[in-house]
Amino acid sequence: MQIISKGLKFTYNKKTEFKRQALNGVDLTINEGDFFGIIGQTGSGKSTFIEHLNGLIPVESGELTIGEFDLSVSAQKPKKAYKERLKLLRRKVGMVFQYPEYQLFAETVFEDVAFGIKNFFPEIEGEQLALKVKNALELVGLNYYEVKDKSPFELSGGQKRRVAIAGVLVLEPEVLVLDEPVAGLDPVGKRNLMELLHSLHGTVLKTIVIVSHDMDEVSENCNRVAVFSDGVAVKVDTIENIFADVDFLVKHGLELPLTAKIKEDLKAVGVDIITDYKIDNLIEKIYKNYKG
Amino acid sequence: MLSDITFGQYYPASSFVHKMDARIKLLLLIAYIVLVFVVKNFYGFLVVYGVLLFLTLLAKVPITSLIKSASAVVFIIIFTFILNIFFYKTNNPTYLFWIITKEALEFSTFMALRLLALVFFSMLLNLTTTPVALTDGIESLLKPLKVIKFPVHELALVMSIALRFIPILMSEADRIIMAQKARGADFESGNLLKRAKAMLPVLIPLLISSFRRAEELGDAMDSRCYSSSSKRTKFRKLKAGWRDLVAVIFTAIIFTAVILLNNYVGGLV
Ligand SMILES: Nc1ncnc2c1ncn2[C@@H]1O[C@H](COP(=O)(O)OP(=O)(O)OP(=O)(O)O)[C@@H](O)[C@H]1O
Ligand SMILES: [Mg+2]
Repeated sequence: MQIISKGLKFTYNKKTEFKRQALNGVDLTINEGDFFGIIGQTGSGKSTFIEHLNGLIPVESGELTIGEFDLSVSAQKPKKAYKERLKLLRRKVGMVFQYPEYQLFAETVFEDVAFGIKNFFPEIEGEQLALKVKNALELVGLNYYEVKDKSPFELSGGQKRRVAIAGVLVLEPEVLVLDEPVAGLDPVGKRNLMELLHSLHGTVLKTIVIVSHDMDEVSENCNRVAVFSDGVAVKVDTIENIFADVDFLVKHGLELPLTAKIKEDLKAVGVDIITDYKIDNLIEKIYKNYKG
Repeated sequence: MLSDITFGQYYPASSFVHKMDARIKLLLLIAYIVLVFVVKNFYGFLVVYGVLLFLTLLAKVPITSLIKSASAVVFIIIFTFILNIFFYKTNNPTYLFWIITKEALEFSTFMALRLLALVFFSMLLNLTTTPVALTDGIESLLKPLKVIKFPVHELALVMSIALRFIPILMSEADRIIMAQKARGADFESGNLLKRAKAMLPVLIPLLISSFRRAEELGDAMDSRCYSSSSKRTKFRKLKAGWRDLVAVIFTAIIFTAVILLNNYVGGLV
């Protein structure tokens, strides 16, 4: 499913004194198969944008299409048909919010993961349901038999987050959208989660969209990136082009990934390396350069 | 969204009313509440609503936000209005139509105006006073109760924490609702029971997170050696000034005017 946003605008608390324009005309395209990164300073509208992607925030002005689903204002009527389509869309576009572990509620891990299935596919029951839950839990690297009867609240922070992600993956979405998935995890937990997403990409999930403040994580995993600033996607491009333009990043208050810093340092001493900003490839390039 | 609800929300502005001492505002609110019950005829209400309009303009708060706040109690007002119309009895009623009498209609309107004025006056205080100033004011006014060992300070603390947490919990509820909607939760269809049940996946995480927040806040206060028994000074001191004097005099004049109106024009009830 291709995601196309044209001139998307949104204002919070529109009719009150506290109104705040969060999106100011977002133009961007996310292709099927992308591992798409969204970066930008805090308050630039990243979360607001992704909440549009499965209709949690209805489009207010501008155009937004997700695959065959048109979410634009003109397509929101009749209301009943729109709601039905939203339901279909939410099955295909999974959404993992920031700190998803705070949305866990059920008595057991099994019940929590099964929540989405019970809502969307009430006809799936018994063994079939158990199989789906088992698959989802194993996808996120948890042992089904160990955790299924536990209360989600007695798990560790990292495990809780995995359960929450399993609760979204269980619906077998085509697109997975994650808002700062590794925020608040320790370095090992971060790496594990990113590796997990990487392994899901192209196998279980066609497209992944992540919002992130961690440039290393973005440069290591994404192929394309959108830079948000003041509610606008000021630049949408490949990793190579985004991180090559250092002045631009600094101007929008963003850090460089470690690989870009190394590249810049090398350039300063007269060694120019062309890189895709993935750490392994950079090391290989430097090694070759050194030998050559 | 839940966080759109403006009930009890401070409206930031710089005005005569905003700059008044919270204690005086609280006392004057009590005065106006009494006034609303002193009023005996419609001329009195003309004065009361005139004062309301004047204060709203003076406070630079939008009239719409005041009216919106009334929508929260509009049900109660309509309910009492209808009850009054049917159950108000007088000795020799003038029937307008069916069982509706002129007296009942007048009385019901009167009561509705009274209720509405109460809501408007309290809302004006809410809109022009920060929650912190409000609790400080209440604490200061209740201080005499300390003599009988009433925990005034603790009460004020509990109030200000509760007030502070309302918007936080609202926005958190918004987020959880979104997250569960993304997993297909449906809060809008089905009968009342079904809808109440559908709220469980929101209420449980909300309850858990408020416990978490309470614990964190408690730890933070403990780690800064907070204790309510020690004598503490205030960061923002409440101070009454010339504005408060003017407001008190103004209120006294209005009070006199209403009482005079009661005596000369006579009463409805
Ligand atoms: N529920 C809300 N009500 C009112 N304003 C909001 C709400 N949510 C966000 N905003 C405002 O909209 C703007 C964009 O917020 P958004 O959460 O999309 O930013 P973000 O890029 O995700 O930031 P962060 O990196 O901090 O998560 C901000 O200025 C914020 O204050
Ligand atoms: Mg955000």
